[in-house]
Amino acid sequence: MNIKKSLAAVALTALLAAGLSACSAGGSEIVAGSAVNVGWNQDFYSANGQTSNGNATANNNILYMANSSFNYYDDKQTLIKNEQFGKYELVSQDPLTVKYTINEGVKWSDGAAVDASDMLLSWAANSCLFNNVSPEYDAEGNISNQAALDAGVFFDSVSCGTDLASVTKTPEISDNGRSLTLIYDEPKVDWELDFAVGVAAHVTTMNAFKADGLTAEDAKAKFIKAVQDKDLATLAPIAKFWSSGYDVQNYGDVDPSVFVSDGAYVISDLVKGDHVTLTANKDYNWGPKPQIETVTVRTIEDPLASVTALANGEVDAISPQATADIMTALKAEEAKGITTLATSDATYEHIDLTLNNKGPFDPATYGGDAEKAKSVRLAFLKTIPRQDIITKLIQPINPDAKLNDSQTALPGSPNYDSIAAANGSADYAAVDIDGAKQLLADAGVTGKVTVKFLFGCGNTRRQNEFALIQASAAEAGFDVLNKCDDNWGSLLGSGTYDATVFGWQSTSTAVTGSKATFITDGGNNFTGYSNADVDAAYASLSKEFDAAKQLELLTTVEQKVWADGYGVTVFQFPGVTAFNSKKIEGITPAPLAPMFFWNFWNWKQLGGQVNG
Amino acid sequence: MLSFIGRRLIASLVVLLAATYVMYVLTAYSGDPLEDLRTSTARNKEQLIEHRIQVLNLNIPPYFRYFIWLKGILAGLIGQLDLGKNLIGQPVDALLASAVGHTLQLVTSATLIAILLGVIVGVATALRQYSGFDYTVTFISFLFYSLPVFWVAVLLKQYLAIGFNDFLVSPQVSPLAIIVCTLLAAFIWSGILGGTWRRRGIVAAISGGATALVLLLINLTHWFENPSIGLIFGAILGVGTALIVTSLSTGLDNKRARNSSLAVVLLGLILWLPFDAISKFLLAPAVFGIAAGFVAIGVAIGWFNGGVDRGPVARTSGITALIMAGIIGVDRFMQAWQPYFNSSYVSGRPFATVGSSTPNLQGSFWVMGVDTFTHLLLPTLALLLIGFAGYTRYSRASMLEIMDQDFIRTARAKGLSERTVVMRHAFRNAMIPLTTLVAFDFAGVIGGAVITERVFAFSGMGKLFLDSLLHVDLNPVMGFFLITGTVAILFNLIADIVYGLLDPRIRVE
Repeated sequence: MNIKKSLAAVALTALLAAGLSACSAGGSEIVAGSAVNVGWNQDFYSANGQTSNGNATANNNILYMANSSFNYYDDKQTLIKNEQFGKYELVSQDPLTVKYTINEGVKWSDGAAVDASDMLLSWAANSCLFNNVSPEYDAEGNISNQAALDAGVFFDSVSCGTDLASVTKTPEISDNGRSLTLIYDEPKVDWELDFAVGVAAHVTTMNAFKADGLTAEDAKAKFIKAVQDKDLATLAPIAKFWSSGYDVQNYGDVDPSVFVSDGAYVISDLVKGDHVTLTANKDYNWGPKPQIETVTVRTIEDPLASVTALANGEVDAISPQATADIMTALKAEEAKGITTLATSDATYEHIDLTLNNKGPFDPATYGGDAEKAKSVRLAFLKTIPRQDIITKLIQPINPDAKLNDSQTALPGSPNYDSIAAANGSADYAAVDIDGAKQLLADAGVTGKVTVKFLFGCGNTRRQNEFALIQASAAEAGFDVLNKCDDNWGSLLGSGTYDATVFGWQSTSTAVTGSKATFITDGGNNFTGYSNADVDAAYASLSKEFDAAKQLELLTTVEQKVWADGYGVTVFQFPGVTAFNSKKIEGITPAPLAPMFFWNFWNWKQLGGQVNG
Repeated sequence: MLSFIGRRLIASLVVLLAATYVMYVLTAYSGDPLEDLRTSTARNKEQLIEHRIQVLNLNIPPYFRYFIWLKGILAGLIGQLDLGKNLIGQPVDALLASAVGHTLQLVTSATLIAILLGVIVGVATALRQYSGFDYTVTFISFLFYSLPVFWVAVLLKQYLAIGFNDFLVSPQVSPLAIIVCTLLAAFIWSGILGGTWRRRGIVAAISGGATALVLLLINLTHWFENPSIGLIFGAILGVGTALIVTSLSTGLDNKRARNSSLAVVLLGLILWLPFDAISKFLLAPAVFGIAAGFVAIGVAIGWFNGGVDRGPVARTSGITALIMAGIIGVDRFMQAWQPYFNSSYVSGRPFATVGSSTPNLQGSFWVMGVDTFTHLLLPTLALLLIGFAGYTRYSRASMLEIMDQDFIRTARAKGLSERTVVMRHAFRNAMIPLTTLVAFDFAGVIGGAVITERVFAFSGMGKLFLDSLLHVDLNPVMGFFLITGTVAILFNLIADIVYGLLDPRIRVE
C-alpha cells in the first residue's frame, strides 16, 4: 500500500469524524426573555378585524388578546361583561336606546384615552351609513374606480347590513366624551352582540392625514367634527385607511401605530408565514390580567406538523383540524405530558329536505296534498340513523359526542337544554323503520320513493353519512340516490336535489341568527319551507327583549319546524385542543370564537425544561 | 446561434401563453370560492356574498376573466406589471418576492449538497464498480429515491428532531452505538478505498479505530453539550484537507502545491484566535468579507509560490483556504451552541420541526446561524435524501461510460497516473450530461418543494401555491405559475446552449 494513499485515507477519516477539545467563550449573546408559544393554522394579516377583508379567526384571536371589549363569550357560550373596561345599559326599549360608557383611565397603548371618539368610529364604519360609493373591481381584485372612490366614503365593513345600520341618527357623546348613546330606529333584540370598539379613531385619523402631523387630541376632535357635520371629504381618507390601512404582512412594513391596542397585550412582532408576538401591556388594569409576558402565535398549517411541533416543545398549545389520525398522533404523545381535549365545534351538521322542487317531499307532487308530502318527509326522517352516524363517524374522534337536538341553539348554550327537551326531536333519536313504513302506508304512498341526495363528493365523512342513510332508508322503501357534487355549495336552493347534508357555522348566540333559515323566502332558506306560525314567531321575536319570552318563541319555532318534517340536526363538528401540561396550564377550549384563546389570562407557564 | 435562441424563445412564449390559459380556467373551476360564505349564518350573508362576487369578478366566466388577468401581465411590457391581489387583499408581487426568498433559502443548499454528494458518491461507485460498496450505495439510493417525502419528513421529525432533542438532555453515546458506528465506518472506508484484502483490512482498522476513538472522546469531553473543533484538532483537519485537496487537484508530487496548501493552513491556524476575539461583533457582510479575503490570500500564496504552474497551484491553495475558512467558521458556530442551547427561547430543544427560525430570538451572527441550521437541517435532509439518489445514478452511469472509452485507454497507455486519467480525462467528460440535469433541477428549485414546505411549515413558493389553490385564489396561483413556467423555459434553453458549448460534438444551429 503506497504511503500517499494511506495518508489520504487517514486524512479522509479524520474529516469524517468530528472534533474534540474544550474551548468556548460562552457569553451573553442572547437577549433574554420568556414566552409561551401557541400554534394556529393561518397568519395574522390585519389589525382591523371589522373589515370584510380582516374578519377572520386568525386575526380575531390575536386582536382579542390585544384589545378590550364590553363583553366576551366564555366556554359555556355565556356572554360575560367586562365592567372594568366599560359599561353599557339599555336605556329604553322603544325606541331601542343603548348607552355605552368607557371607564376613566382606559388607555390605548400609545397613551391616548379610549373614549367616545373610538366608539363613534366603530358606529360610523360598521353601520356603513356614510358609504356613498362602492368600489368596482377588475379581475385582479384591484379597484377600478379609484378616483371616484377617493372622493367618496367607503368603509369596507363586514357588518354592513346588520343591526347597527338602523342607528341612523348620529349618536350623542356625553359624560366628558366617554359615553356614546345609540338610538335604533327599529327594535333589535340582539343589540348586545352588535357593538365593539375596534381600532382607534385617533390612529386612523392621524394616518389618514399623515402630512398634517396631528396630535392624538386634535385627531379625535377632527374625526368627531367630521362625523357630526357629515363632512364626507374628511371622512373619505379616514374610511380608506380604516378599510385597508390596517392590513399588514410584516411588522416593519407598516407604520407601527397600526398596532396600537387597548387590551392586555400589544403586538410586538409579526413575520409573515411564521409568527406574531404579543407582549404584555404594562399599563393594562381594565380587565382580567394575564400571567404570561410574551405570547407567540406560530403559523402551522399542516395538522400533523402542529402535533409534532407540540411534541417537540416548539409550541405549547394547538387546536388542529380534528381527524381520527390526528387524535391517534396526539394520543401517542401522552407520555410526554401532552393533554388532548376532544371538543365540539360551533359548526353543526344537519339534513334538510326540499319542499318546492316537485320531488318526493313537495306537496305539488301529490297534487297539492300537503299532509301526504309531510308524511313522506317524516317517514324519511325517521329512517335517518342519527345515533349510528355519531357512533361510527364522530365518536372515534370525540368519544363524548352527542346528538345535536336543536335547530336554533348550540348544545351547551344557555337555551339548548330546554329547547331540545320540548321541540319533538326525541321522536328522531332512534331509527324507526316500522313507524316510517306505517306513515307511508297511511298516506297511501306505494312503491319506491326516490330521493336525490346532494353533498360534497370530496368530503369523506359525508360520503360515509350518505352510505349509512342510504342503507337505513332503503329498509323503509326509500331509494336514495347519490347526487354528490363538488360545487354543492352553489347548488343549494337550486331545486336539483330532494335532500342534502351540510354544516351551518354558528358565530354567536344571536336569537335571530336562525331567522334567515326558517322564515318564508329567508336568505338561508334553501328548502322552500314556509309556515305562517314560524314567520309570526320570528316577527314577535324581533321585538322581544325578555330572555324567557325569547326562549318561549324559539321553542315554538322549533316545535313547528320539527313537526313539519323540515329536516334533522345530527352532530357538532368534532374539534380538538391539545397542550403540553408540563409547560402550560389553564387552557380551556370553547366552541365560539376566539376558541381556546378566550381565557388567555388564566394561562400560566410551568417549568422551562420539558421532556426528560 | 442567435436565430436558434430567438426561435426557441418565441415557441416558448406561445407555449407559456397557452399553458397560463389552461391553468387559469382549470384553477377557476377547481372549487367554489364562495363555499365558506354559503354555510355561514351571518346575518348579513347576502351582502358578504355580493361583496366577494364584486371583488373577484365572479360574474364573469373564467374563460373571459383570464383576459383581464392577461391585461395586467401585458402591461408589464410598458413597465406597469400588475399581478393583482390575493383574496385577502395582499399584492401578489410582494407575496411572490417573500416566497421566492424562503424557497431559495430552503432548496438551494439541499440542491447544492445533493449535487456535490451525489457526484462524489456516483463517481466513487463507478470507480469501484460491482464492489460491495457499489451494491450497497445502489440499494440505498434506490431506497431513498422511492420514499415519499412526507413520510421521510415524519420519520426525520420523530427521530432526528424529537429523538435527538431527547438525547441531548444527557448526551452520552451508548456503547452499542459506538460499536455500530465503528463497524459502519470500517465498512464504508474499506469499501471506497478498495484494493487488496490486506489493504482493505488496514483501512478498516484505521478508520474504525479513529471513529471509535472520536466517539469515546466525545463522551469523555461532553462534546455535545459544548461542541468545538479546537486548535489542535483544527490543525489535524487542516493538514488533512491540504493533503487531500493537493492529491486530487495536482497530485502530492507537486511540492509547490503541497507546500502552498500547508502554508495556507498554517496561516489559518495563526489567524484563528485573533478572529475568534473579534468575531462576536461581526455582522454577516464582515464575516463573508473576511472569508473571501482569506481565500484571496490563499490564491495569492499559490500564485506567487507556483512557479511554472501557478494556475493549478493557486487553485489548490485557494480550495484549501476555502475549506480552512469553513473549519474556522464551523468552530465559531459551535461556540455559539451553548448559549443558544440554554436560551429560554430554545430551552434545551434545539432541533426544530417547523418554521425557518425561532420566533423572537435575537443574537449575534453566530447564534442566528446556529438557529438557521437547526431549522433547515430537517427539511434539507428530506429533500437531500431524495435528490441525492438521482445524481448518484446519473453520475455513476456517465462515469462508467466514459471509463470504457478508447481515449481513456490511450491516456493510460501514455503512462499517465491514475489520478490524471480519472480527474482530468474521465471526470470532466462525465460531467457534461449532468449539466442538463442540474439546469432542470435549478428550474424546479424555484417552484419550491410543495409537500416539504407544507410539512415543515415553511412559507415558500410551494406553500403559496398550495394555499392559493385550496382557496381558489387565482392571482397568486397564476403568479406562481408564471414565474415557475418562465424559469423552467429559461433553464431549458440555458441547458441546451451550455451543452453545445461543453460538448464539441454538438452544435446549436
